Amino acid sequence: MNKVTLILLVGTILIQLGCTDVKESTSATSTVSPIDTEKNIEESQAIVLLSGLPTLGTKDSIAIIEMDPESANFGNILYDYPLPKFDAPLHHLYYSPNGRLYATGLGSECSLAEIDLVRNAQAEPVITKVECLDTQGQSVGEDIMWHSVNGKLHMFVTFMGGTDLSQVDAGSVGVFDPQTNKVLKIIEARKSQVGEGKPYIMYPHGISAYEDRMVVTSTVHPNLADGIGNVVTVIDLNSFEPIENIVTEDAKPVGFPSSPVEVLFVRPSIVEGVEPAVLVNTMFGFETWKIPYDAKSKVFAEPEKLYDGATAGTGVPLEFYGNDTELFISHAIPGLVKRYDLKSLPDLVPSGEDIKTELGAHHMIFYSSASGRKLIAVQNNLLNLGDAKDNDPTDVDFIAKVNDHSLTVHDLTTGERLGMINFKDKYQKGIDNIEALFGSGFTHHH
Amino acid sequence: MFKVKFLAAVSLSCTVIIVVSIFVFSTNKQGDTQLVEFTTPFVFGRFQIPKDNPLTVESVKLGRRLFYDPILSKNNKVACANCHKQSLAFTDGLALSVGVSGKPLSFNSMSLVNLMWGPKHFFWDGRANSLENQALQPIEHVDEMGSNLDDLTEELSEIKAYQTLFEQAYGELNAVSIAKALANFQRTLISSNSPYDQFLRGEISLSPQEEFGRKLFMAHPDTKVSLRGGNCIDCHSQFLTSGFSSFFDGFSNNGLDDDENLAEGLFGVTKLEAHRGLFKAPTLRNIAVTAPYMHDGRFKTLEEVLAHYNSGIKRSKTLSPLIIEADNLADSQSQHISLNLAPHEVVAIISFLHTLTDESFLTNKAFSDPFKTGEPND
Repeated sequence: MNKVTLILLVGTILIQLGCTDVKESTSATSTVSPIDTEKNIEESQAIVLLSGLPTLGTKDSIAIIEMDPESANFGNILYDYPLPKFDAPLHHLYYSPNGRLYATGLGSECSLAEIDLVRNAQAEPVITKVECLDTQGQSVGEDIMWHSVNGKLHMFVTFMGGTDLSQVDAGSVGVFDPQTNKVLKIIEARKSQVGEGKPYIMYPHGISAYEDRMVVTSTVHPNLADGIGNVVTVIDLNSFEPIENIVTEDAKPVGFPSSPVEVLFVRPSIVEGVEPAVLVNTMFGFETWKIPYDAKSKVFAEPEKLYDGATAGTGVPLEFYGNDTELFISHAIPGLVKRYDLKSLPDLVPSGEDIKTELGAHHMIFYSSASGRKLIAVQNNLLNLGDAKDNDPTDVDFIAKVNDHSLTVHDLTTGERLGMINFKDKYQKGIDNIEALFGSGFTHHH
Repeated sequence: MFKVKFLAAVSLSCTVIIVVSIFVFSTNKQGDTQLVEFTTPFVFGRFQIPKDNPLTVESVKLGRRLFYDPILSKNNKVACANCHKQSLAFTDGLALSVGVSGKPLSFNSMSLVNLMWGPKHFFWDGRANSLENQALQPIEHVDEMGSNLDDLTEELSEIKAYQTLFEQAYGELNAVSIAKALANFQRTLISSNSPYDQFLRGEISLSPQEEFGRKLFMAHPDTKVSLRGGNCIDCHSQFLTSGFSSFFDGFSNNGLDDDENLAEGLFGVTKLEAHRGLFKAPTLRNIAVTAPYMHDGRFKTLEEVLAHYNSGIKRSKTLSPLIIEADNLADSQSQHISLNLAPHEVVAIISFLHTLTDESFLTNKAFSDPFKTGEPND
């Protein structure tokens, strides 16, 4: 595939979609409770991965920021830990079930790291070390999931670059001992090697699991040029082998494969009594799919398209997040978060108006303000790609207009925007990822 | 990642930095030596130190000496350490402690550990709202130490070593500075290097039985999804294993007595009927060495404690609803409240509880009796 063609085509269509009108959310009044004087002030703080922007002379760091618009410190960096120079930035933060902090990285020098976070005598969170872990050559780390296999917890990591980034069909899933961080197994099944019609793993990105079945997506080659996927791969966790590819692709609104990105295995622990199914967002298909699953027969049914962004005026659906009542899906174009009734899953039944953010809507956190107002903060940045007009070498218009470099904060009830932090303007950096300092604040990421 | 909730205090402990208070000292402009560096696990959560009582080297040193000095008691025979022995995680091994009067006190001696986290009210019934407030109550209690604070202050002021220590720590010797010093020493009693902590940091793995017990500890039973649980975490938080810190959330009626025999507990402080029979959910850190258990020391062993939760719960009007609904049997028709844990599950939970024993805490010289170690007084 020609990289320039891909860039221009997708860029053009994304821009067009970005101009599509989206209904204004109606303003409702939210309930604000009296200030809780015992409230932990850190509940409104977030930990973020920041990328230095080459033309602005800044460097990568991990920062803690204040996210409460009611605070005088809103948007301020409370703590900043400079990162060593790696061949690519760190990408996603994850807390393990035991509270250990990890990051994936988009390069090969540090594609998976553990971050040592402690408190000093002033009770402040401080980072003492970022240790790059031995992935046995797996590069371009994306998502992490902790899941028990036959009663034993494992840490699974998707590596879009697999063990050989030079291969056009690269990709692997690393299985790690969650205590020692040692590689237990590399699940790798390149399309060119498994044989015609056999299940493969390619550019794995999203990951989710239920019982002994894991699903990973096939997104895009890390160099954004060598290939794009269109399948979800099912892995049998008894054998750690891929057993099925399921195509989630329909209209090809930008002419490319659908590029499944994030995936959520809807299961009874998320929604009581639910019939399990896999939800899939397709980055270039602009769609959300449902793949029903029969847990008794362990059979996945034909995928069903639940949402079509090309007709609805949205593009590049990315993340699934949830709380106790709703599921949220971010759409980078035009920059919004759609919300759905949790109990209705795996079907997508809207539960409220869209939350209008900025181009690049991606990750999100949930928390409350000092006055008790329930909030959502959305990262509006797909990747920290620069702007050609700044002579920025990282500019690839393939991701045109989806790098606003901002966080927007909204009332969770009404969607009203309460604040915005533009990292490029304020700190001359881009933002790669946001996580609530206390972890989650959300419950359904994978 | 799914259903990983770190609500009260989350995150991470370090893999390298360890643990119990690593104190480094430096000198500030005023000449006071401040505690400028120690680390605690991030997962313990934020803590607060009163602005008018900073954690200084001098205050901790003074507090430690006072803690071990029987001069605080009327008959000069009972120190704080009499009822709070380091080797027993600062408990005394008795069902009910005994002070200067020789009469058994009303309560079992509470362990003194990780006091900067968890419930912000101290004593089993929550009658002190700060460590400073807590510190003087045993000194003045007629059965515990029986001292008059004015007399004690005068007595201490006649001792050269204390003249120096108080001057260095607070610039004056009075009841307030006595309380502050004792409070600060207790704040330094941090336990974070038990096998459980090492497990959390990824340094070790638990045995299969300990890990099984850990999972049961952390689970509220839910028969709908075949989740078996010991229901411990509903009152004892994931990392600190203490009660929760917000308001009076760290207090609970855990079914020890029926309405007829229900003790006052937190009601004695708040005068709210809903608080009758509620007692502080203590930390379970070092629980294996702090027998006997409960506010009145009624259970001699952890086996007896587990037997209570498994089949000995007594109904009362303020019994915790989290206990009432916790049952590992589906559709149980019995009116008797029970966890219905299997014997091997009980054993596993106890096995996990033993991983909370922090030997380095129990033997840390910084917490030991300075009169025995021959350390200089000033």
